[in-house]
Amino acid sequence: MMDIDDPLDFEKEDPFLINPVVSKKRKKLIGLDDLLSEHYKEQSKLIEKEAKKQTKAQKSYDSDEDKNGKEAKLSSLLDDCQEQMKAMSGEEELSEWGIFVFGEQKTSPPLSFPELGSWSILKSFMNNRLNSLVGLATEQECSFLEGLLINGWLLKLILKCGRVEKSIAAWTFSLILYSSKEELRSSACEFWCSILSSKVQVGVPPIVIDWFPSYRELKSALEIYGFRFNFSSNISVKNNSVCKGPPQNIITWIKFTAVCCQVRCKQSVFLASDCQELAEVIICLFLDRRVQGLNVLMSNCLQSVISSFTEEEWINCYCEIAKSLASRVPMDLNCLRAVQCISGVDPRSKHLRSAVAFQILVNCFENEVTDEEGILTLLISINVKEKACDFFKMYLYVVLTENWLQYDPMLRDKPVIREMWGLFLRNCSCQITSTDLRLHASKVRNKAAFLLQGAGNN
Amino acid sequence: MVKRKSSNNCNRRIRINRGGMEANTLAILDSNESHKDSQDARDDSVDFLEAVRTASLLPENGTPPTEKMVEAVFQILRAGKSLELIMSSYELLNEIEKRFPRVYMSESSGNDSRELVVINEAWLPFVVFSDVMSSEREATPKNSDGLFDVNGFHELIQGLAELANKTISQRVDTESLGNMLLFQYLVNVLEEDFVPRINMYKETMNWNLLRECLLNMLLGSRRVNYKVLMKDCLSTICGLCQDHAGIVDESEHSETSMGKSYENHNTDVAIALLEVQKTTCLAMQKLLTMIMELDMSKKQAHMEGQTTRADGVRTPLAEIILDELTYDRDILSPFLQVFNDPKWKLEIIVQYFLKYTAKPSVRTRRSDVTSEDSTLNRVLKSFSNGTYTRNIIKKIDVEAVQLLLAHAFLAYLSISSQQRLPGMSDCKEDENSSLMEISKDVIAAFNSLRGADENIEISSLGKEALFTAAMIISTTS
Repeated sequence: MMDIDDPLDFEKEDPFLINPVVSKKRKKLIGLDDLLSEHYKEQSKLIEKEAKKQTKAQKSYDSDEDKNGKEAKLSSLLDDCQEQMKAMSGEEELSEWGIFVFGEQKTSPPLSFPELGSWSILKSFMNNRLNSLVGLATEQECSFLEGLLINGWLLKLILKCGRVEKSIAAWTFSLILYSSKEELRSSACEFWCSILSSKVQVGVPPIVIDWFPSYRELKSALEIYGFRFNFSSNISVKNNSVCKGPPQNIITWIKFTAVCCQVRCKQSVFLASDCQELAEVIICLFLDRRVQGLNVLMSNCLQSVISSFTEEEWINCYCEIAKSLASRVPMDLNCLRAVQCISGVDPRSKHLRSAVAFQILVNCFENEVTDEEGILTLLISINVKEKACDFFKMYLYVVLTENWLQYDPMLRDKPVIREMWGLFLRNCSCQITSTDLRLHASKVRNKAAFLLQGAGNN
Repeated sequence: MVKRKSSNNCNRRIRINRGGMEANTLAILDSNESHKDSQDARDDSVDFLEAVRTASLLPENGTPPTEKMVEAVFQILRAGKSLELIMSSYELLNEIEKRFPRVYMSESSGNDSRELVVINEAWLPFVVFSDVMSSEREATPKNSDGLFDVNGFHELIQGLAELANKTISQRVDTESLGNMLLFQYLVNVLEEDFVPRINMYKETMNWNLLRECLLNMLLGSRRVNYKVLMKDCLSTICGLCQDHAGIVDESEHSETSMGKSYENHNTDVAIALLEVQKTTCLAMQKLLTMIMELDMSKKQAHMEGQTTRADGVRTPLAEIILDELTYDRDILSPFLQVFNDPKWKLEIIVQYFLKYTAKPSVRTRRSDVTSEDSTLNRVLKSFSNGTYTRNIIKKIDVEAVQLLLAHAFLAYLSISSQQRLPGMSDCKEDENSSLMEISKDVIAAFNSLRGADENIEISSLGKEALFTAAMIISTTS
């Protein structure tokens, strides 16, 4: 069906309608780079001129061979020049984010479960006449139960009988945390996730779970994986052989934690203070490059933690999370990563993103100022023309401030704040020239220009 | 009823904004055209992804990213330069997919019935055109801009099938990881397009809705050997899952009691791989299930005379799977282990048994969902007959029979726990009794196997099935 709003044929061809701004703005941005490369070109031209002067001085020996020799000389000069340029831009690379959040692993507790045989269903089966066919003996109980778990029978049975006894709960939980067998730990994790998130059905009593793990146990597992709760003190450990990263159990740990948070409203496993610490821990996980492949899981988990707070708890907690994080995260690209890993798609995570960025900024200025306008005044007062200006820090400030202001609806619409933010950005984009070769200066300039463009669009 | 939206439905101001947004974000990538492989270029890509995210996903009423922007994100995933880029482009693409769906059902308002809304302008990772057109286009290059046509899709799956044959340590590289995530994204796109269409189809019984779905157009292309494609899908899903077992063996020998962490350099890829393999299996299962659902709807539409010759003929996937499972006994166990959609699993197992009973009257119409449990019933009942049992263990070996019985029972249990929806609680009695009956029949079937041959060894899966059946009987009664 054709919609009445559909364009008439000729309208489609109107380039202005389709993309009115593109060409103009792109040109502008590319223009900046052109300027930079022009600068380089000019430098090499100078060298060329120099070379030409030399040629003129030695005009009398203007034979073919000599020409070749001079060309070679010239090209080597140019090569040198290029090398220098490369070296210069090479320095400009920002180092990567990444902290070894996980250190050395500790020995995990032994996995033995003598009490498994006390599971009532297992006991009652021993006396079932069918056991003549199955032939289950007491010593095989554990491996038999593992089979039940891996193939999914255990879950079906529990859903049917409506109760998870302590022995089963504790056994499966420690498999999640410490089993080296992928099948066992992921089956155990699926088992818990299904039990916890099983829907309450009309006419069917909810599943009774006799034993719940506590946050303390999750935390100590994390410590055994090598997680450093205060890593800021020893970031310098860069030896891969010493810390090879967390065991694979971290995957099931994250999944299980996420589900516990998702059901917190009906089954309170964690206290508010636990969730507060969890949020910090998960954000710290984002800082370790060795687990970046689990981003999807970690984002989901962080989201679950954030949504698990009640409204009242949240108001009390989010600022604490931000403050504590700000005090842990080093002031380099890692602090940006800590801010950007917070998804920002819902109101709460926007809130948190803004708060974390703000607290890190406050920390940057060693807690001298803690009010919004104070911070912005400090930022504006930075003189980018000054020789000692640290552009790496400037870059951090620009990104942090953007995140802080953009996601706080209260601040975003305050005229004073907007004005100051605009001024700060203009300082960075206009006062730093495109030919400024100081370390990271162009990075700051480009970022500020980009943000100014964005602000203009809205 | 299909409502098509095109770009002119959004107002002009938004488009101006989108134009600005596009120019601004793409400029981040442009600045480094000269040295594409450098760290700088990678940093720019990271910045670009973050900028796209910030511009379109974070504002409360953000505008969808333009085609060029999504395409650029997609190209970053395809290029797969680093783990960081792969992961963030993959996440971003899925987020965009979720936030700005291309096809959705409109909310029912007043007396208007719900209709399917299709956003035609949205960017697609696929190039699909009907075969009539493609014969004319033969001259044009196949992979325009690195988008996927059916051949490209097949190549990707072939790559995964090859990967599934490798050992775990051979798989640990960024490229394999990138391909698996790429595949997952493509399946996700197919699913987002398919699900609203089939839901709408079930309401309206209008085959046109499904005929135009991406999946149907992709599979309908005559430029690919459909059967080979499906077989590659099967070997991928079976191969990838078998390797979980491989990991278990490896780590059993390691001294630490926790899962071993991989040696130095590739730790990040290795730990990601473990999870990504699993989600790839799930995506493959999703793809297979969608195709089977499509087949079923097509058959239904055919019976109602809605299909035309242009719809073509395709062997139903369930039949292909069935043939493969009978032909290659080795993949029977891994397939049943990994394929977890209970409805289709049960269907395939029942058909497997029926293949050997040669009683055409037993075949029920596949579209009739309610008949399925009774069909399992009938299969189980036939085991009470000693001659039948002996016959069947002559044709299918006894290991396989136990495997099939146990998995059928598992699938049945899953279906029965899923079907306990609110409002159905009054039939709980019936449900319990049918569960009881099935459990008893499972036990009887195993007893009858034993009866047919005293020396039969009951497999561990069989024992678990018996245990579960016995305990269900004792807790219910």
